[in-house]
Amino acid sequence: MKKKPSKHMFCGNCTSHNAYDFPDQVFCTRRFLKNQNAIVSTLWCCEDWYPSAQECHCIEETLKKQK
Amino acid sequence: MQRKEILREPVQHIRIKGKLTVNQLVQQFQNSGSFGAGRVAAACDIYERMVREDDCTVFLALAGAMVPAGLRQLVADLLRENLIDVLVTTGANMVHDAIEALGGHHYKGHWAVDDYMLYKNHTYRIYDVFVPEEDFIKLDMELVKIYDQMANENKGKTLSSTDFAWEMGKRLKDSNSILRAAYETKAPIFIPAVRDSEFGYIYNLHATRRQFKNTLVVDAFKDVPEIISICRGSSKNGMIVIGGGVPRNTIQSAALATKSGIDYAVVITMDRAETGGLSGSTLEETVSWGKLKGQADKTMVIGDAMIVFPIMVASVKERLGRDFRRARSVKYENLNPKE
Repeated sequence: MKKKPSKHMFCGNCTSHNAYDFPDQVFCTRRFLKNQNAIVSTLWCCEDWYPSAQECHCIEETLKKQK
Repeated sequence: MQRKEILREPVQHIRIKGKLTVNQLVQQFQNSGSFGAGRVAAACDIYERMVREDDCTVFLALAGAMVPAGLRQLVADLLRENLIDVLVTTGANMVHDAIEALGGHHYKGHWAVDDYMLYKNHTYRIYDVFVPEEDFIKLDMELVKIYDQMANENKGKTLSSTDFAWEMGKRLKDSNSILRAAYETKAPIFIPAVRDSEFGYIYNLHATRRQFKNTLVVDAFKDVPEIISICRGSSKNGMIVIGGGVPRNTIQSAALATKSGIDYAVVITMDRAETGGLSGSTLEETVSWGKLKGQADKTMVIGDAMIVFPIMVASVKERLGRDFRRARSVKYENLNPKE
């Protein structure tokens, strides 16, 4: 079952992400290596969400942009 | 030696009156003959002699972040105009060439910046040049596809770094690209430390996705006989070094292997000799190894290559004139890019 995303559980807040289209889309290395679509929304949360966050502005900038 | 011979030539003071072309300014440097000005003028003379000799192979060693800083177009043009015969470069410079070929950019930044702020904004810094992380990611994704194609086409055949560079150039359509210019003009590009750049990391992505089966195979040892053959096939060899490091020694070692040594040498560096590192080592030290001829025409310019090299090229092109044409001076029949 997919985990319910918590406040910080977003693809843009895990150590597997890199910027793809800052701040809206991120590149996920884990998915890329599994030959899955590696470009995901910054606010998406996958099954592999890694419980260690990267300190960057992806989430806050996306949220600001949405407002 | 007599005293009058020692004091033969007085320093002539630099005169700037009205408009000056680049070469006229270099002539003023020559009149002074002092410090960096004298060395830049000597470097221009040596480069001019290299390109005017039909049988001299001109090698350019490129180290340091010259492509991110803005030398990409200049190097590509020199390859197209045959004012460089062979390029020996770090992998990183070709990575940054490919980034721009795929639509990415390098940005003017500043050296005094909060680097942790840059990290949080997914922005990399090369002194005062910024590179967005996205441009690396887009490069990774595109080059993994290119690596896959190259692996499928070559079916396990080992490529030298020149084969690898040409295969890349074949697939990059940007005419301003160094890799593309080398492919189109059949100019050899050696990347001796090819894995020590994003090219190596991209190999890991490509190989991991294929479970390390039927992957691209690049063997830098294969370069060695190729570059030695080029040196051996030339009656004279000249090198221009920007920075130094692995690219400089790749050229020098090839000249040593042919037992002939290099005839012309210009080194542009800001490194010091005292550390024992190659980038700062003097050309006299190079003579001691037999890599440079004792009577070689040589100079070492201590300065920023971003300033010195464009001045050198502008001055020499002005001297050669618009109608000057030079054929590529590389004689190695086995070296040809695949169509």
